[in-house]
Amino acid sequence: MTSVVESPDREFLDAAGAVLRAATPGEDPLEALGWWDLLAEFDDTDARGAALALFRAQGRELADTAALGALLAQPYLAATGSEPGTLVAVIARRSARGERFVAVGDVAGRALLVDRPGQGASVIPAEKAELVPVTVPGRLTLHEVRVDDTALTPVVTEADAVPARARGLFLGRIAASLEILGAAEQTAALAVAYAGSREQFGRPIGTFQAVRHLLAWAQTDCVALESVVTTAVALDDAAPERHDEVVKALAGRNGRRICERTMQVLGGIGFTAEHDHHLFHSRVLALDALLGTSAELTYALGAWWRESRGDPSAPVRALLAGAGS
Amino acid sequence: MLHITASSGSGPLRDDACSYAAALDDWLATRPAALEAASRPIAAYDQRVAATSTLMGVLYDEGWARYGWPEQLGGLGGDIVHRAVMWDALARHGLPAMALYEHLEVLAPTLVALGDPDFMAEALPRFLRGEQVWSQGFSEPEAGSDLASARTRAVERDGGYVITGRKIWTSWARYARWCLVLARTGTTESRHRGLSAFVVDLQDPGVEVRAIEQANGTDELAEVTFDEVPVGPERLVGEIGGGWRVAMHILAHERGTFGWFRHNFLTREVLDNLSLGGPAGDTLLGNALLDLAAVRASSFAGVQAHAADTVLGPRAAFVKLMLAASEQAVNDWVLASDPDLAVGVQDDHVAVNRQDYLFSRIVTVYGGSQQMQLDTIAKQILRLP
Repeated sequence: MTSVVESPDREFLDAAGAVLRAATPGEDPLEALGWWDLLAEFDDTDARGAALALFRAQGRELADTAALGALLAQPYLAATGSEPGTLVAVIARRSARGERFVAVGDVAGRALLVDRPGQGASVIPAEKAELVPVTVPGRLTLHEVRVDDTALTPVVTEADAVPARARGLFLGRIAASLEILGAAEQTAALAVAYAGSREQFGRPIGTFQAVRHLLAWAQTDCVALESVVTTAVALDDAAPERHDEVVKALAGRNGRRICERTMQVLGGIGFTAEHDHHLFHSRVLALDALLGTSAELTYALGAWWRESRGDPSAPVRALLAGAGS
Repeated sequence: MLHITASSGSGPLRDDACSYAAALDDWLATRPAALEAASRPIAAYDQRVAATSTLMGVLYDEGWARYGWPEQLGGLGGDIVHRAVMWDALARHGLPAMALYEHLEVLAPTLVALGDPDFMAEALPRFLRGEQVWSQGFSEPEAGSDLASARTRAVERDGGYVITGRKIWTSWARYARWCLVLARTGTTESRHRGLSAFVVDLQDPGVEVRAIEQANGTDELAEVTFDEVPVGPERLVGEIGGGWRVAMHILAHERGTFGWFRHNFLTREVLDNLSLGGPAGDTLLGNALLDLAAVRASSFAGVQAHAADTVLGPRAAFVKLMLAASEQAVNDWVLASDPDLAVGVQDDHVAVNRQDYLFSRIVTVYGGSQQMQLDTIAKQILRLP
């Protein structure tokens, strides 16, 4: 339910939305929000919650920042001796066309964290890498990052990188899920407004039950995602094993489902470049493709549950403790 | 092995649900015989109910089942969080279903809030001990989703009331001693304003309970007819004309918190079938895991809202939809993992899988159909025209 969002997060969400909306090109809204400073205070529950709440606002506003990579790099700040705001992680992704690194948002002037499982993590200035722009809609700046292997000298050993990598992935997956939620709930709101104003057969299409049920399902998927992701934020390191994958898989699945249902309600206009729907939809698709797609995570989680025979549920005592924090 | 005795009503267990959870886990880990007996797959519904009732008696005697209920009604204090913890623990330790004790969570909170205190002081402990359970008489042959058109009548006579009519889809009426009946005390035209809620003793003359054999082979549903059945004034729940409020109290509670109680047993169902699964079902299983996580997170919020005396209102419809989706996702995987349930029943495990799979196809109907939930969201939350 919406009330599970703790109030500091809610306040930051509203403030972040306003700042992101008002941001002018060339200006870093994360600076204006004091967001970078939050990265140094992650032991504080409120600071961590606020830092994560930014992503939901980013999804709603289709904001374009380097926050996701910065969050993935947060657990490496101490080991690399970096100041918050200077280090941004590139994200490895694999497809049939090979393995590649991508950077999200404008990373010019920052240091890039390149973490390769089995080989430790390296840091190189963005200027030393070849950044090839990837064109995706959704008002998202994406670069494919090409680095020469010889330029990568691990500054964090594999032993030190293992826990940082797990923590970074946890934070990154929660953040990407919140951004998917923001984008999906925004386009759901657009579709609800459209159903109330668009008339056919002499009445608003929102009076037709077939349309109403599409929107009710979209809202149900929003609420499900909101409940899971805000609970995961509260659980934090008390979350059960692979819970970040559960959250991310659910976000991708529900996010895509919400966009499909709202596009059906919007009709032809929702499939045009002039309507914003495609921007939200593309943002959801891009985020679903990073840090584990919903298709691969869902399959992997099923296989893991079958083989491990364990109970993947968040323990009730952890939920109680999370509720009290 | 020493364990904390729960029956003393000691403060820490009452005041701190985490302590209660830890102590209960320790006790269940000793594998009490009644838990072992109720945890085996039992195809025969009568035997399953008997095993669960025995377990309830033990849980009451040991004190565990008394937490979460008011002291003046036989409980040991605490709130719904204790009950949420208890059923979570029972499922984790092997109990496959709540069976007719689902009604403990569906009906008892409303009976405690709105029933006659003296009557409930007798009835609740018996419910908690598994001796006398309850059923819910809402639906009628001509009043399904349109509950406000119920025709069963209650007429004032000799300081009490006389009830005549017919109820259908009354879960567990065959096993129940009491039935909470929604009956018309006003005119038919008065719709929901003319309804009142009464407790009827199903052993009284004039009551006939006819079990309905279901498509999944069990018969926990029943048709109940009332032919001039007298009830005393203490059997009125709420006020005359207040039956709709009673029904809404129950349904809002059922939809908001029921997901917590039920989804634990869906997780149990998965755990009990993992050895049958293969790689072909992994994506189905992964999807079930996502759906269960959604119910767990959203219904825990519902439990907390209830503990804080907040009304979830129409938002309970979300949890209801998610719960049904998760039950179907779990059973989609069970069917893929145990296709024997479709072609032959060799043992109690397959028989129970078949019952559960087929039942999962109707979960979008009971307790307010999926279409009614979607309508509620469209109208009361999205405010569509």
